[in-house]
Amino acid sequence: MHPFHLAIIVILSALALLMVYPFVWLVFSSFKTAKDIVTLPVQLFPREWTLLSFQRVLATPDLLRAYVNSLGLSFVIVALVLVTSSLGGYVFARLRFPGREIIFLIILSTTMVPFITLLIPLYLMMQWFGLINSYLAIIIPSAISSFGIFLCRQFISVIPRDLYEAAKIDGCGDFAIYLSIILPLTKPVLSALAIFTFLSAFNAYLWPLVVLNEDRLFTLPIALTKLLSTYGVTNYDLIMPASLLACLPAVVVFLVFQRNFVQGIALSGLKG
Amino acid sequence: MNTLFDAVAFARKGPLSKLNFARRDMTSRLGLAVGIGLLIYYLFVFFVPFAIAVWLSFQNWDFIVDPKFVGMRNYLRMFNDNYFWQAVRVTVTFSAIEITVAMIIGLILAFLLSRLRGFKQRFYLALFYLPVVVPSVVSVLLWRWLFISDGGAFNVLLTSVGLPAQPFLLSADQALYCIIVMVIWTFLGGIIVLFLAGINDIPEHLMEAAMLDGAGLLRQFWSIVLPLLRPVIVYQAVVSVIGTFQLFEQFVFLSGPGFSTRTLAVYTYQLGFKSLDLGYGAAVSMFIFVMLLVATVLQLRRYRDAIEY
Repeated sequence: MHPFHLAIIVILSALALLMVYPFVWLVFSSFKTAKDIVTLPVQLFPREWTLLSFQRVLATPDLLRAYVNSLGLSFVIVALVLVTSSLGGYVFARLRFPGREIIFLIILSTTMVPFITLLIPLYLMMQWFGLINSYLAIIIPSAISSFGIFLCRQFISVIPRDLYEAAKIDGCGDFAIYLSIILPLTKPVLSALAIFTFLSAFNAYLWPLVVLNEDRLFTLPIALTKLLSTYGVTNYDLIMPASLLACLPAVVVFLVFQRNFVQGIALSGLKG
Repeated sequence: MNTLFDAVAFARKGPLSKLNFARRDMTSRLGLAVGIGLLIYYLFVFFVPFAIAVWLSFQNWDFIVDPKFVGMRNYLRMFNDNYFWQAVRVTVTFSAIEITVAMIIGLILAFLLSRLRGFKQRFYLALFYLPVVVPSVVSVLLWRWLFISDGGAFNVLLTSVGLPAQPFLLSADQALYCIIVMVIWTFLGGIIVLFLAGINDIPEHLMEAAMLDGAGLLRQFWSIVLPLLRPVIVYQAVVSVIGTFQLFEQFVFLSGPGFSTRTLAVYTYQLGFKSLDLGYGAAVSMFIFVMLLVATVLQLRRYRDAIEY
């Protein structure tokens, strides 16, 4: 067993090193001087360690504003998705009303159509409603998640029915039960859902690109890509440190909630 | 139908009519309200846009002159459009290679990780998973920089070990493979976590029994892990196909020369938002939908077979 174990560690370490390799460049390059970053051929270690690049990012209002925009938008979307998913999950798992199964199937069926097919028509609709260059155009399509409702329903349907029945007999209304019993018990799945939703909202590129075209509204991914083409020069000296800063929220969320990640993926994957 | 009659007969029996009343009372107003609300929401963000996509695909529209009905012309045009077929080729080649390689590597790594416990397992998992959480645009811009052919990081690495420098994204032959490598790197962590969860679900006694019988790691992998993991593998394949067909920024910012890396998703975007050929763009996007639907149904059939295994 022991030589096997060692071999596994060696193989995993080598591959992990390959996985981290691009990030090593990102981190080291962020501490280089502007000239050092764009000088070819590149050199892994900075010729001169400096924090100047971060200063340059902080002095670029476009990037800072985009950072704030992205964070704010992501938090709003996460909040909405958590509320709608848990409520939807509860309703489909526990409550009785005509058409329950059919409506749930309809919601599931929407996941069969790729977003790219809806891209042009959704854009047209947003235009008709005058929502181009409005965050509503981003928030509305992501406020409710079929995946989230599905995930919560799966989770809530294994919560013992007795709890629900007992509260019912005590005279609790359906919504009171949702608030006092279901919501607290759904915390594990909601935290996993929150992470995935935050990441996908924070990282979204195509849809914000299509519906936003004013600089002041840009989200971080768009602002980053705009650095590629200003005056025909690629501003890698800004892109590198700004990218590193852009990774921070996601990486912090990931490291803090690592356990929920694994749980969430296992939950979503195996029940699919 | 039968149960309805039963219920009526049941209710007529008199004293039990109260029970029937109670049953009707169980219709939850909250449930109904949420259900109807969701229906309305999906009508607007899904069914109406989908209907518009279908309708648009039979129109000719450039945003300026009113849409004009052209029947099947958009669909017929696809079959004579070399750019379209080029995009199909790129998309399918990309998906097939990316998914196959990523799943093989993911399987092996998940199996190796499953032999570790506790902190060690979590440590390596975290490293492999890191690229999944990083914003895709960050990864794309980073790799674009690493791929610079004239003195970029990858070429510095190659030449330092005595290999010839490569053109990477500047070469129509290499660009697509560069993107494949980049995308495998991005999503490998997710595949590993899913497969690892699947392997952890395999009863421990099966592995132990195999070990007692003298089965080595390879034998355990081949005879126990692989067959029992089949449903998870098929599931991952379905998800991967749907995912890879929709990748966008990877192909925009790591694009090779000409149309060597233009996928159907990018082509749809360009038709809709650059050449303002909305009808044709909608038709191409309907093609993507149908392709994915067929792929999903075919794979789900295998999924069922895999579960019955």
